[in-house]
Amino acid sequence: MASADSRGAAVDRYAGAGAFDRLRKHPAGNVVIVFAVFFAACVVVSLLFPTDFRFLQSANLRILMRAIPPIGIMALGVGLLMITGEFDLSVGAVFILAPYVMVFAFVNGVPLSLSVLAALATGLLVGMVNGIITVRFGIPSFIATMGMLFILRVSGRIIASNRPLSFFPPDGFEEALTGRIGPIMQAQFLWFLGLATAAWLFLDRHRLGNHFFAVGGNREAAVSLGINVGRTKLLAFVLCSILAAFAGVISTTRINSATSTPQLFLELEAIAICVIGGLALTGGRGAVLGIVLGACILQMVKDVIILTKLPGFYLDMFIGIVIVFGVALNRLARKKY
Amino acid sequence: MAETAAGAANGGGAGGAAPIFEARTVSKSYGHVEALIGVDFEILPNEVVGLLGDNGAGKSTLIKIMSGVVRPDTGSFFRNGTPITLDSRRQSEAAGIETIYQDIALVGSMSIMRNVFAGRELANRGGFLRMKKMRDTAMLILDRYVRIAGITSPELMVEELSGGQQQAVAIARAVHFKHDMLLLDEPTSALSVRETEKVLSFMTELAEGGVSCVFVTHNLYQAYRVCHRFVVMAHGRVVKVARKEETSIAELTDLLVTH
Repeated sequence: MASADSRGAAVDRYAGAGAFDRLRKHPAGNVVIVFAVFFAACVVVSLLFPTDFRFLQSANLRILMRAIPPIGIMALGVGLLMITGEFDLSVGAVFILAPYVMVFAFVNGVPLSLSVLAALATGLLVGMVNGIITVRFGIPSFIATMGMLFILRVSGRIIASNRPLSFFPPDGFEEALTGRIGPIMQAQFLWFLGLATAAWLFLDRHRLGNHFFAVGGNREAAVSLGINVGRTKLLAFVLCSILAAFAGVISTTRINSATSTPQLFLELEAIAICVIGGLALTGGRGAVLGIVLGACILQMVKDVIILTKLPGFYLDMFIGIVIVFGVALNRLARKKY
Repeated sequence: MAETAAGAANGGGAGGAAPIFEARTVSKSYGHVEALIGVDFEILPNEVVGLLGDNGAGKSTLIKIMSGVVRPDTGSFFRNGTPITLDSRRQSEAAGIETIYQDIALVGSMSIMRNVFAGRELANRGGFLRMKKMRDTAMLILDRYVRIAGITSPELMVEELSGGQQQAVAIARAVHFKHDMLLLDEPTSALSVRETEKVLSFMTELAEGGVSCVFVTHNLYQAYRVCHRFVVMAHGRVVKVARKEETSIAELTDLLVTH
Protein backbone atom coordinates (compact mmCIF):
# COMPACT_ATOMS: atom_id res chain seq x y z
CA MET A 1 0.00 0.00 0.00
CA ALA A 2 2.87 2.32 0.77
CA SER A 3 3.40 3.24 -2.83
CA ALA A 4 6.72 4.22 -4.25
CA ASP A 5 5.53 7.74 -5.07
CA SER A 6 4.54 8.57 -1.52
CA ARG A 7 8.01 7.57 -0.37
CA GLY A 8 9.65 9.45 -3.17
CA ALA A 9 8.66 12.90 -2.04
CA ALA A 10 10.74 12.86 1.09
CA VAL A 11 13.48 10.43 0.25
CA ASP A 12 14.59 10.73 -3.34
CA ARG A 13 16.46 13.97 -2.95
CA TYR A 14 18.70 12.19 -0.47
CA ALA A 15 19.39 9.24 -2.70
CA GLY A 16 21.51 11.21 -5.13
CA ALA A 17 22.65 13.90 -2.73
CA GLY A 18 26.35 14.58 -3.10
CA ALA A 19 28.61 16.43 -0.72
CA PHE A 20 27.67 19.77 -2.30
CA ASP A 21 23.94 19.16 -1.82
CA ARG A 22 24.53 18.15 1.76
CA LEU A 23 26.47 21.35 2.31
CA ARG A 24 23.66 23.41 0.77
CA LYS A 25 21.17 21.78 3.11
CA HIS A 26 23.21 22.51 6.23
CA PRO A 27 21.93 25.61 8.08
CA ALA A 28 25.35 27.23 7.61
CA GLY A 29 25.88 25.78 4.13
CA ASN A 30 25.47 29.02 2.21
CA VAL A 31 27.79 30.98 4.46
CA VAL A 32 30.49 28.32 4.17
CA ILE A 33 30.39 28.78 0.40
CA VAL A 34 30.32 32.60 0.62
CA PHE A 35 33.20 32.60 3.09
CA ALA A 36 35.31 30.24 0.98
CA VAL A 37 34.76 32.29 -2.18
CA PHE A 38 35.39 35.63 -0.43
CA PHE A 39 38.51 34.36 1.33
CA ALA A 40 39.88 32.83 -1.87
CA ALA A 41 39.23 36.10 -3.72
CA CYS A 42 41.09 38.08 -1.04
CA VAL A 43 44.02 35.66 -1.23
CA VAL A 44 44.18 35.78 -5.03
CA VAL A 45 44.01 39.57 -5.22
CA SER A 46 46.57 39.82 -2.45
CA LEU A 47 48.95 37.54 -4.39
CA LEU A 48 48.41 39.46 -7.61
CA PHE A 49 48.82 42.91 -6.05
CA PRO A 50 50.94 42.34 -2.94
CA THR A 51 51.87 45.99 -2.48
CA ASP A 52 48.41 47.50 -3.02
CA PHE A 53 46.29 44.87 -1.25
CA ARG A 54 48.13 43.65 1.84
CA PHE A 55 45.53 41.15 2.97
CA LEU A 56 47.96 38.28 3.46
CA GLN A 57 50.59 40.22 5.41
CA SER A 58 50.88 38.85 8.92
CA ALA A 59 50.23 42.29 10.43
CA ASN A 60 46.88 42.42 8.63
CA LEU A 61 45.94 38.88 9.58
CA ARG A 62 46.79 39.70 13.19
CA ILE A 63 44.47 42.69 13.03
CA LEU A 64 41.69 40.36 11.90
CA MET A 65 42.47 37.93 14.73
CA ARG A 66 42.07 40.82 17.17
CA ALA A 67 39.04 42.44 15.56
CA ILE A 68 36.87 39.38 15.00
CA PRO A 69 36.56 38.03 18.59
CA PRO A 70 34.77 40.89 20.42
CA ILE A 71 32.01 41.31 17.85
CA GLY A 72 32.01 37.56 17.18
CA ILE A 73 31.50 36.65 20.85
CA MET A 74 28.72 39.23 21.06
CA ALA A 75 27.14 37.72 17.94
CA LEU A 76 27.26 34.24 19.51
CA GLY A 77 25.00 35.54 22.27
CA VAL A 78 22.75 37.45 19.90
CA GLY A 79 22.51 34.32 17.75
CA LEU A 80 21.60 32.02 20.65
CA LEU A 81 18.83 34.46 21.53
CA MET A 82 17.72 34.88 17.92
CA ILE A 83 17.25 31.11 17.65
CA THR A 84 14.66 31.34 20.44
CA GLY A 85 12.91 34.01 18.37
CA GLU A 86 13.99 37.13 20.29
CA PHE A 87 16.27 40.14 19.77
CA ASP A 88 18.61 42.02 22.03
CA LEU A 89 19.48 45.55 20.97
CA SER A 90 21.09 46.34 24.33
CA VAL A 91 24.21 44.19 23.75
CA GLY A 92 26.12 47.19 22.39
CA ALA A 93 25.48 49.08 25.63
CA VAL A 94 26.37 46.07 27.80
CA PHE A 95 29.58 45.75 25.79
CA ILE A 96 30.49 49.28 26.99
CA LEU A 97 28.97 49.33 30.50
CA ALA A 98 30.06 45.91 31.84
CA PRO A 99 33.80 46.44 31.33
CA TYR A 100 33.45 49.96 32.70
CA VAL A 101 32.05 48.44 35.88
CA MET A 102 35.01 46.04 35.94
CA VAL A 103 37.63 48.77 35.53
CA PHE A 104 35.85 51.09 37.97
CA ALA A 105 35.91 48.35 40.60
CA PHE A 106 39.52 47.41 39.83
CA VAL A 107 40.93 50.93 40.06
CA ASN A 108 39.07 51.34 43.35
CA GLY A 109 40.91 48.42 44.91
CA VAL A 110 38.59 45.50 44.23
CA PRO A 111 40.55 42.32 43.36
CA LEU A 112 40.74 41.66 39.63
CA SER A 113 38.84 38.37 39.77
CA LEU A 114 35.92 40.01 41.59
CA SER A 115 36.02 42.95 39.17
CA VAL A 116 35.68 40.58 36.23
CA LEU A 117 32.83 38.83 38.03
CA ALA A 118 31.18 42.22 38.53
CA ALA A 119 31.32 42.79 34.77
CA LEU A 120 29.75 39.41 34.06
CA ALA A 121 27.17 40.02 36.80
CA THR A 122 26.25 43.27 35.08
CA GLY A 123 25.55 41.26 31.95
CA LEU A 124 23.57 38.70 33.92
CA LEU A 125 21.46 41.39 35.54
CA VAL A 126 20.70 43.18 32.27
CA GLY A 127 19.82 39.85 30.65
CA MET A 128 17.47 38.97 33.50
CA VAL A 129 15.69 42.33 33.27
CA ASN A 130 15.43 42.09 29.46
CA GLY A 131 14.11 38.56 29.76
CA ILE A 132 11.60 39.28 32.49
CA ILE A 133 10.21 42.35 30.70
CA THR A 134 9.85 40.37 27.48
CA VAL A 135 8.58 37.10 28.90
CA ARG A 136 6.44 38.20 31.84
CA PHE A 137 4.98 41.39 30.45
CA GLY A 138 4.76 40.29 26.84
CA ILE A 139 6.54 43.34 25.50
CA PRO A 140 8.32 42.59 22.20
CA SER A 141 12.02 42.14 22.89
CA PHE A 142 12.83 44.55 20.08
CA ILE A 143 11.16 47.34 22.07
CA ALA A 144 12.18 46.20 25.56
CA THR A 145 15.86 45.93 24.68
CA MET A 146 15.86 49.15 22.68
CA GLY A 147 14.66 50.89 25.83
CA MET A 148 17.38 49.09 27.76
CA LEU A 149 19.96 50.25 25.21
CA PHE A 150 19.19 53.90 25.93
CA ILE A 151 18.90 53.41 29.70
CA LEU A 152 22.28 51.68 29.86
CA ARG A 153 23.95 54.26 27.64
CA VAL A 154 22.79 57.10 29.84
CA SER A 155 23.64 55.25 33.08
CA GLY A 156 27.10 54.58 31.69
CA ARG A 157 27.53 58.29 31.06
CA ILE A 158 26.29 59.22 34.54
CA ILE A 159 28.58 56.72 36.30
CA ALA A 160 31.55 57.64 34.19
CA SER A 161 30.83 61.35 33.80
CA ASN A 162 32.52 61.04 30.43
CA ARG A 163 35.83 60.07 31.99
CA PRO A 164 37.72 57.22 30.34
CA LEU A 165 39.52 54.96 32.84
CA SER A 166 42.89 53.37 32.20
CA PHE A 167 43.07 49.66 32.82
CA PHE A 168 46.41 48.03 33.48
CA PRO A 169 45.79 44.59 34.91
CA PRO A 170 48.64 42.22 35.85
CA ASP A 171 50.45 40.84 32.79
CA GLY A 172 49.15 37.31 33.18
CA PHE A 173 45.56 38.49 32.78
CA GLU A 174 46.25 40.51 29.67
CA GLU A 175 48.28 37.69 28.14
CA ALA A 176 45.58 35.14 28.85
CA LEU A 177 42.82 37.24 27.28
CA THR A 178 44.54 39.13 24.50
CA GLY A 179 48.13 37.87 24.23
CA ARG A 180 49.89 37.10 20.99
CA ILE A 181 50.46 33.43 20.22
CA GLY A 182 52.84 32.73 17.37
CA PRO A 183 53.18 34.97 14.31
CA ILE A 184 49.44 35.42 13.64
CA MET A 185 47.27 33.83 16.31
CA GLN A 186 45.87 35.89 19.17
CA ALA A 187 44.59 34.60 22.53
CA GLN A 188 41.22 36.32 22.06
CA PHE A 189 40.65 34.38 18.85
CA LEU A 190 41.16 31.13 20.77
CA TRP A 191 38.63 32.38 23.34
CA PHE A 192 36.23 33.04 20.48
CA LEU A 193 36.73 29.55 19.06
CA GLY A 194 36.43 28.02 22.53
CA LEU A 195 33.19 29.85 23.28
CA ALA A 196 31.86 28.97 19.82
CA THR A 197 32.58 25.31 20.53
CA ALA A 198 30.79 25.60 23.86
CA ALA A 199 27.84 27.29 22.13
CA TRP A 200 27.75 24.48 19.56
CA LEU A 201 27.81 21.82 22.27
CA PHE A 202 24.99 23.64 24.02
CA LEU A 203 22.80 24.21 20.97
CA ASP A 204 23.40 20.98 19.14
CA ARG A 205 24.20 18.46 21.84
CA HIS A 206 22.38 19.65 24.94
CA ARG A 207 18.78 19.24 25.99
CA LEU A 208 18.38 22.96 26.53
CA GLY A 209 19.68 23.71 23.04
CA ASN A 210 16.98 21.49 21.62
CA HIS A 211 14.48 23.57 23.59
CA PHE A 212 15.95 26.78 22.12
CA PHE A 213 15.22 25.55 18.60
CA ALA A 214 11.76 24.27 19.53
CA VAL A 215 10.74 27.51 21.24
CA GLY A 216 11.93 29.64 18.31
CA GLY A 217 10.69 27.27 15.62
CA ASN A 218 7.11 26.78 16.82
CA ARG A 219 6.15 28.34 20.11
CA GLU A 220 2.78 26.61 20.35
CA ALA A 221 4.31 23.21 19.64
CA ALA A 222 6.93 23.81 22.33
CA VAL A 223 4.20 24.68 24.83
CA SER A 224 2.20 21.59 23.94
CA LEU A 225 5.34 19.46 24.36
CA GLY A 226 5.65 20.74 27.91
CA ILE A 227 8.72 22.91 27.28
CA ASN A 228 8.85 25.94 29.57
CA VAL A 229 9.00 28.70 26.97
CA GLY A 230 9.45 31.55 29.46
CA ARG A 231 12.36 29.94 31.27
CA THR A 232 14.03 28.95 28.00
CA LYS A 233 13.88 32.51 26.66
CA LEU A 234 15.03 33.98 29.96
CA LEU A 235 18.11 31.74 29.82
CA ALA A 236 18.77 32.91 26.26
CA PHE A 237 18.56 36.59 27.28
CA VAL A 238 20.97 35.98 30.17
CA LEU A 239 23.50 34.07 28.03
CA CYS A 240 23.30 36.81 25.40
CA SER A 241 24.07 39.62 27.85
CA ILE A 242 26.83 37.70 29.65
CA LEU A 243 28.57 37.02 26.34
CA ALA A 244 28.27 40.72 25.43
CA ALA A 245 29.81 41.61 28.82
CA PHE A 246 32.68 39.18 28.25
CA ALA A 247 33.25 40.54 24.75
CA GLY A 248 33.51 44.00 26.32
CA VAL A 249 36.01 42.74 28.89
CA ILE A 250 38.24 41.38 26.10
CA SER A 251 38.01 44.58 24.11
CA THR A 252 38.74 46.79 27.13
CA THR A 253 41.67 44.63 28.18
CA ARG A 254 43.18 44.92 24.73
CA ILE A 255 42.98 48.70 24.52
CA ASN A 256 43.79 49.16 28.25
CA SER A 257 41.02 51.68 28.64
CA ALA A 258 37.34 51.72 29.50
CA THR A 259 35.11 54.43 28.18
CA SER A 260 31.45 55.29 28.45
CA THR A 261 31.31 56.59 24.91
CA PRO A 262 28.86 54.41 22.97
CA GLN A 263 30.05 52.64 19.86
CA LEU A 264 27.16 53.07 17.50
CA PHE A 265 25.50 50.16 15.73
CA LEU A 266 27.47 47.38 17.44
CA GLU A 267 24.17 45.60 18.13
CA LEU A 268 23.18 45.87 14.49
CA GLU A 269 26.56 44.51 13.42
CA ALA A 270 25.95 41.51 15.69
CA ILE A 271 22.53 40.96 14.16
CA ALA A 272 23.98 41.36 10.66
CA ILE A 273 26.58 38.68 11.48
CA CYS A 274 23.80 36.30 12.47
CA VAL A 275 21.87 37.04 9.28
CA ILE A 276 25.01 36.51 7.17
CA GLY A 277 25.47 33.27 9.11
CA GLY A 278 22.11 31.97 7.96
CA LEU A 279 20.11 32.40 11.17
CA ALA A 280 16.43 33.18 10.69
CA LEU A 281 15.33 36.50 12.17
CA THR A 282 12.10 34.73 13.02
CA GLY A 283 13.89 32.11 15.13
CA GLY A 284 14.28 28.35 15.13
CA ARG A 285 17.00 28.12 12.50
CA GLY A 286 20.74 28.47 12.46
CA ALA A 287 24.09 27.00 13.37
CA VAL A 288 27.03 28.24 15.40
CA LEU A 289 29.38 27.67 12.45
CA GLY A 290 27.33 30.26 10.57
CA ILE A 291 27.84 32.85 13.29
CA VAL A 292 31.60 32.22 13.40
CA LEU A 293 31.97 32.56 9.63
CA GLY A 294 29.53 35.49 9.59
CA ALA A 295 31.76 37.35 12.05
CA CYS A 296 34.81 36.56 9.91
CA ILE A 297 33.07 37.78 6.76
CA LEU A 298 31.91 41.05 8.34
CA GLN A 299 35.39 41.86 9.65
CA MET A 300 36.96 40.86 6.33
CA VAL A 301 34.64 43.30 4.58
CA LYS A 302 35.76 46.02 7.02
CA ASP A 303 39.33 45.01 6.34
CA VAL A 304 38.90 45.18 2.58
CA ILE A 305 37.32 48.62 2.91
CA ILE A 306 40.35 49.78 4.92
CA LEU A 307 42.92 48.10 2.65
CA THR A 308 41.36 49.60 -0.46
CA LYS A 309 41.03 52.98 1.29
CA LEU A 310 37.31 53.24 0.63
CA PRO A 311 35.39 55.64 2.88
CA GLY A 312 34.15 54.01 6.11
CA PHE A 313 30.47 54.66 5.47
CA TYR A 314 30.53 51.91 2.88
CA LEU A 315 30.56 49.53 5.81
CA ASP A 316 27.28 50.93 7.15
CA MET A 317 25.79 50.52 3.71
CA PHE A 318 27.08 46.95 3.57
CA ILE A 319 25.45 46.15 6.92
CA GLY A 320 22.16 47.65 5.75
CA ILE A 321 22.29 45.66 2.52
CA VAL A 322 23.20 42.46 4.38
CA ILE A 323 20.28 42.75 6.78
CA VAL A 324 17.74 43.42 4.05
CA PHE A 325 19.01 41.11 1.34
CA GLY A 326 20.43 38.47 3.64
CA VAL A 327 16.96 37.81 4.97
CA ALA A 328 15.49 37.69 1.48
CA LEU A 329 18.24 35.38 0.20
CA ASN A 330 17.94 33.01 3.13
CA ARG A 331 14.24 32.79 2.56
CA LEU A 332 14.72 32.12 -1.16
CA ALA A 333 17.33 29.46 -0.47
CA ARG A 334 14.94 27.73 1.91
CA LYS A 335 12.07 27.72 -0.56
CA LYS A 336 14.03 25.47 -2.87
CA TYR A 337 13.58 22.52 -0.55
CA MET B 1 -8.17 -0.34 3.21
CA ALA B 2 -11.67 1.04 3.66
CA GLU B 3 -12.99 -2.46 4.33
CA THR B 4 -10.38 -3.25 6.96
CA ALA B 5 -11.05 -0.03 8.80
CA ALA B 6 -14.80 -0.53 8.80
CA GLY B 7 -14.47 -4.19 9.68
CA ALA B 8 -12.31 -3.47 12.67
CA ALA B 9 -14.76 -0.82 13.77
CA ASN B 10 -17.55 -3.35 13.84
CA GLY B 11 -15.55 -5.91 15.75
CA GLY B 12 -13.60 -3.66 18.14
CA GLY B 13 -14.55 -1.79 21.26
CA ALA B 14 -14.77 -3.51 24.58
CA GLY B 15 -18.46 -3.58 25.34
CA GLY B 16 -19.20 -3.29 29.04
CA ALA B 17 -15.55 -2.84 30.01
CA ALA B 18 -14.73 -0.34 32.74
CA PRO B 19 -13.67 3.07 31.38
CA ILE B 20 -9.95 3.87 31.49
CA PHE B 21 -10.77 7.58 31.73
CA GLU B 22 -13.79 9.49 32.96
CA ALA B 23 -14.62 13.17 33.07
CA ARG B 24 -17.61 14.08 35.26
CA THR B 25 -19.81 17.21 35.17
CA VAL B 26 -17.21 19.34 33.46
CA SER B 27 -18.21 22.99 32.98
CA LYS B 28 -16.31 25.87 31.49
CA SER B 29 -17.36 29.45 30.74
CA TYR B 30 -15.53 32.14 28.85
CA GLY B 31 -17.15 35.30 30.23
CA HIS B 32 -20.84 34.94 29.45
CA VAL B 33 -20.30 32.16 26.96
CA GLU B 34 -20.88 28.71 28.43
CA ALA B 35 -18.59 26.47 26.42
CA LEU B 36 -19.29 23.32 28.45
CA ILE B 37 -22.26 22.65 30.72
CA GLY B 38 -22.03 19.60 33.01
CA VAL B 39 -20.42 17.34 30.44
CA ASP B 40 -19.73 13.67 31.19
CA PHE B 41 -17.29 11.87 28.95
CA GLU B 42 -15.56 8.54 29.16
CA ILE B 43 -12.99 6.57 27.21
CA LEU B 44 -13.19 2.77 27.11
CA PRO B 45 -10.25 0.46 26.49
CA ASN B 46 -9.42 -0.42 22.86
CA GLU B 47 -11.94 1.89 21.28
CA VAL B 48 -12.11 4.70 18.78
CA VAL B 49 -14.70 7.11 20.13
CA GLY B 50 -16.04 9.79 17.82
CA LEU B 51 -16.55 13.20 19.42
CA LEU B 52 -18.99 14.86 17.08
CA GLY B 53 -20.63 18.25 16.93
CA ASP B 54 -20.91 21.44 14.97
CA ASN B 55 -18.57 24.40 15.39
CA GLY B 56 -18.95 25.84 18.88
CA ALA B 57 -20.43 22.63 20.29
CA GLY B 58 -17.64 22.48 22.88
CA LYS B 59 -15.55 19.65 21.41
CA SER B 60 -12.29 21.57 21.32
CA THR B 61 -12.79 22.97 24.83
CA LEU B 62 -13.29 19.45 26.15
CA ILE B 63 -10.17 18.24 24.37
CA LYS B 64 -8.13 21.16 25.71
CA ILE B 65 -9.33 20.44 29.24
CA MET B 66 -8.44 16.76 28.93
CA SER B 67 -4.97 17.64 27.65
CA GLY B 68 -4.36 19.99 30.57
CA VAL B 69 -4.13 23.16 28.49
CA VAL B 70 -7.39 24.72 29.75
CA ARG B 71 -8.66 24.46 33.32
CA PRO B 72 -12.35 23.73 33.80
CA ASP B 73 -14.53 25.77 36.18
CA THR B 74 -15.93 22.59 37.68
CA GLY B 75 -15.51 18.89 37.03
CA SER B 76 -13.62 15.84 38.20
CA PHE B 77 -11.48 13.29 36.39
CA PHE B 78 -10.78 9.63 36.98
CA ARG B 79 -8.08 7.38 35.62
CA ASN B 80 -9.10 3.70 35.95
CA GLY B 81 -11.47 4.83 38.70
CA THR B 82 -8.85 6.82 40.65
CA PRO B 83 -9.35 10.61 40.91
CA ILE B 84 -6.69 12.64 39.12
CA THR B 85 -6.05 16.33 38.42
CA LEU B 86 -5.40 17.73 34.97
CA ASP B 87 -3.96 21.14 35.75
CA SER B 88 -1.08 21.00 33.31
CA ARG B 89 0.11 19.35 30.17
CA ARG B 90 2.51 17.29 32.27
CA GLN B 91 -0.27 15.92 34.48
CA SER B 92 -2.31 15.01 31.45
CA GLU B 93 0.68 13.25 29.92
CA ALA B 94 1.39 11.42 33.16
CA ALA B 95 -2.20 10.18 33.05
CA GLY B 96 -1.45 8.65 29.65
CA ILE B 97 -3.17 11.23 27.46
CA GLU B 98 -1.56 12.60 24.31
CA THR B 99 -3.14 15.16 22.02
CA ILE B 100 -2.63 15.54 18.30
CA TYR B 101 -3.78 18.99 17.29
CA GLN B 102 -5.32 20.13 14.08
CA ASP B 103 -2.31 22.35 13.45
CA ILE B 104 0.31 19.73 14.07
CA ALA B 105 2.42 20.28 17.16
CA LEU B 106 5.75 19.65 15.47
CA VAL B 107 8.59 22.06 14.82
CA GLY B 108 9.10 22.27 11.06
CA SER B 109 12.67 23.53 11.24
CA MET B 110 13.79 20.57 13.35
CA SER B 111 14.55 16.99 12.31
CA ILE B 112 12.12 14.15 12.97
CA MET B 113 14.46 12.79 15.62
CA ARG B 114 14.67 16.10 17.47
CA ASN B 115 10.89 16.48 17.25
CA VAL B 116 10.20 13.02 18.59
CA PHE B 117 12.28 13.78 21.66
CA ALA B 118 11.56 17.51 22.05
CA GLY B 119 10.85 18.15 25.72
CA ARG B 120 11.66 14.49 26.51
CA GLU B 121 15.24 14.30 25.32
CA LEU B 122 17.37 11.29 26.13
CA ALA B 123 20.28 12.88 27.93
CA ASN B 124 23.02 12.02 30.36
CA ARG B 125 23.24 13.57 33.81
CA GLY B 126 24.79 16.78 32.54
CA GLY B 127 21.91 17.25 30.14
CA PHE B 128 23.94 16.34 27.07
CA LEU B 129 21.98 14.45 24.46
CA ARG B 130 22.60 10.78 23.85
CA MET B 131 22.58 11.26 20.11
CA LYS B 132 23.16 7.67 19.08
CA LYS B 133 20.50 6.35 21.42
CA MET B 134 18.06 9.01 20.20
CA ARG B 135 18.82 8.26 16.55
CA ASP B 136 18.45 4.49 17.06
CA THR B 137 15.22 4.90 19.01
CA ALA B 138 13.80 7.31 16.43
CA MET B 139 14.70 4.83 13.69
CA LEU B 140 12.96 2.09 15.63
CA ILE B 141 9.84 4.21 16.08
CA LEU B 142 9.78 5.02 12.39
CA ASP B 143 10.21 1.35 11.48
CA ARG B 144 7.56 0.16 13.86
CA TYR B 145 4.84 2.75 13.52
CA VAL B 146 5.39 4.92 10.51
CA ARG B 147 6.30 2.48 7.72
CA ILE B 148 3.08 3.26 5.95
CA ALA B 149 3.91 6.94 5.79
CA GLY B 150 7.08 6.26 3.81
CA ILE B 151 9.55 8.11 5.97
CA THR B 152 12.96 6.48 5.98
CA SER B 153 15.33 8.73 7.87
CA PRO B 154 15.00 10.37 11.30
CA GLU B 155 17.25 13.15 10.05
CA LEU B 156 14.65 14.56 7.65
CA MET B 157 13.33 18.00 8.51
CA VAL B 158 9.69 17.87 9.49
CA GLU B 159 8.89 20.72 7.07
CA GLU B 160 9.93 18.44 4.21
CA LEU B 161 7.20 15.93 5.06
CA SER B 162 3.65 15.95 3.77
CA GLY B 163 0.77 16.72 6.14
CA GLY B 164 -0.07 13.03 6.52
CA GLN B 165 3.54 12.11 7.20
CA GLN B 166 3.66 14.80 9.87
CA GLN B 167 0.53 13.42 11.51
CA ALA B 168 2.13 9.99 11.43
CA VAL B 169 5.24 11.31 13.20
CA ALA B 170 3.09 13.03 15.84
CA ILE B 171 1.09 9.85 16.39
CA ALA B 172 4.20 7.66 16.50
CA ARG B 173 5.70 9.98 19.09
CA ALA B 174 2.58 9.67 21.22
CA VAL B 175 2.49 5.90 20.92
CA HIS B 176 6.17 5.49 21.68
CA PHE B 177 5.84 7.37 24.92
CA LYS B 178 3.35 4.78 26.12
CA HIS B 179 0.28 6.91 26.14
CA ASP B 180 -2.81 4.75 25.91
CA MET B 181 -5.24 7.56 25.08
CA LEU B 182 -4.83 9.65 22.00
CA LEU B 183 -6.96 12.75 21.46
CA LEU B 184 -7.04 13.65 17.78
CA ASP B 185 -8.52 17.09 17.17
CA GLU B 186 -9.66 17.25 13.54
CA PRO B 187 -6.63 15.23 12.42
CA THR B 188 -7.82 14.80 8.86
CA SER B 189 -9.09 18.29 8.11
CA ALA B 190 -5.93 19.39 6.31
CA LEU B 191 -5.12 16.10 4.60
CA SER B 192 -5.57 14.68 1.13
CA VAL B 193 -7.91 11.73 0.60
CA ARG B 194 -5.07 9.22 0.54
CA GLU B 195 -3.45 10.63 3.66
CA THR B 196 -6.82 10.67 5.41
CA GLU B 197 -7.15 6.95 4.70
CA LYS B 198 -3.79 6.34 6.33
CA VAL B 199 -4.68 8.26 9.46
CA LEU B 200 -8.06 6.49 9.72
CA SER B 201 -6.52 3.03 9.43
CA PHE B 202 -3.82 4.13 11.86
CA MET B 203 -6.50 4.88 14.47
CA THR B 204 -8.04 1.46 13.98
CA GLU B 205 -4.66 -0.23 14.35
CA LEU B 206 -3.90 1.78 17.46
CA ALA B 207 -7.20 0.86 19.13
CA GLU B 208 -6.54 -2.81 18.42
CA GLY B 209 -3.07 -2.40 19.89
CA GLY B 210 -4.39 -0.91 23.15
CA VAL B 211 -4.34 2.82 22.45
CA SER B 212 -7.84 4.26 22.64
CA CYS B 213 -8.47 7.17 20.30
CA VAL B 214 -10.81 10.14 20.65
CA PHE B 215 -11.54 11.26 17.10
CA VAL B 216 -12.86 14.82 16.99
CA THR B 217 -14.39 15.58 13.62
CA HIS B 218 -17.12 17.25 11.60
CA ASN B 219 -16.98 14.47 9.10
CA LEU B 220 -19.64 11.92 9.98
CA TYR B 221 -18.71 9.52 7.22
CA GLN B 222 -15.10 9.27 8.36
CA ALA B 223 -16.23 8.91 11.96
CA TYR B 224 -18.79 6.26 11.13
CA ARG B 225 -16.18 4.14 9.40
CA VAL B 226 -13.68 3.91 12.24
CA CYS B 227 -15.51 4.71 15.50
CA HIS B 228 -16.90 2.12 17.89
CA ARG B 229 -18.87 4.67 19.85
CA PHE B 230 -20.16 8.20 19.31
CA VAL B 231 -20.55 11.14 21.64
CA VAL B 232 -22.53 13.96 20.05
CA MET B 233 -22.24 17.46 21.49
CA ALA B 234 -24.28 20.60 20.88
CA HIS B 235 -24.16 23.99 22.59
CA GLY B 236 -21.83 22.80 25.33
CA ARG B 237 -23.83 19.69 26.28
CA VAL B 238 -23.64 16.02 25.40
CA VAL B 239 -26.85 15.22 23.52
CA LYS B 240 -26.24 11.60 22.63
CA VAL B 241 -23.94 8.71 23.50
CA ALA B 242 -24.36 5.57 21.44
CA ARG B 243 -22.47 2.48 20.40
CA LYS B 244 -22.15 2.01 16.69
CA GLU B 245 -24.64 -0.87 16.57
CA GLU B 246 -27.22 1.22 18.45
CA THR B 247 -27.29 4.07 15.98
CA SER B 248 -27.12 4.85 12.31
CA ILE B 249 -25.51 7.45 10.17
CA ALA B 250 -28.97 8.89 9.50
CA GLU B 251 -29.67 9.35 13.21
CA LEU B 252 -26.27 10.96 13.81
CA THR B 253 -26.80 13.32 10.89
CA ASP B 254 -30.17 14.24 12.31
CA LEU B 255 -28.69 14.98 15.73
CA LEU B 256 -26.03 17.21 14.26
CA VAL B 257 -28.43 19.12 12.07
CA THR B 258 -31.32 19.60 14.48
CA HIS B 259 -29.36 20.77 17.51
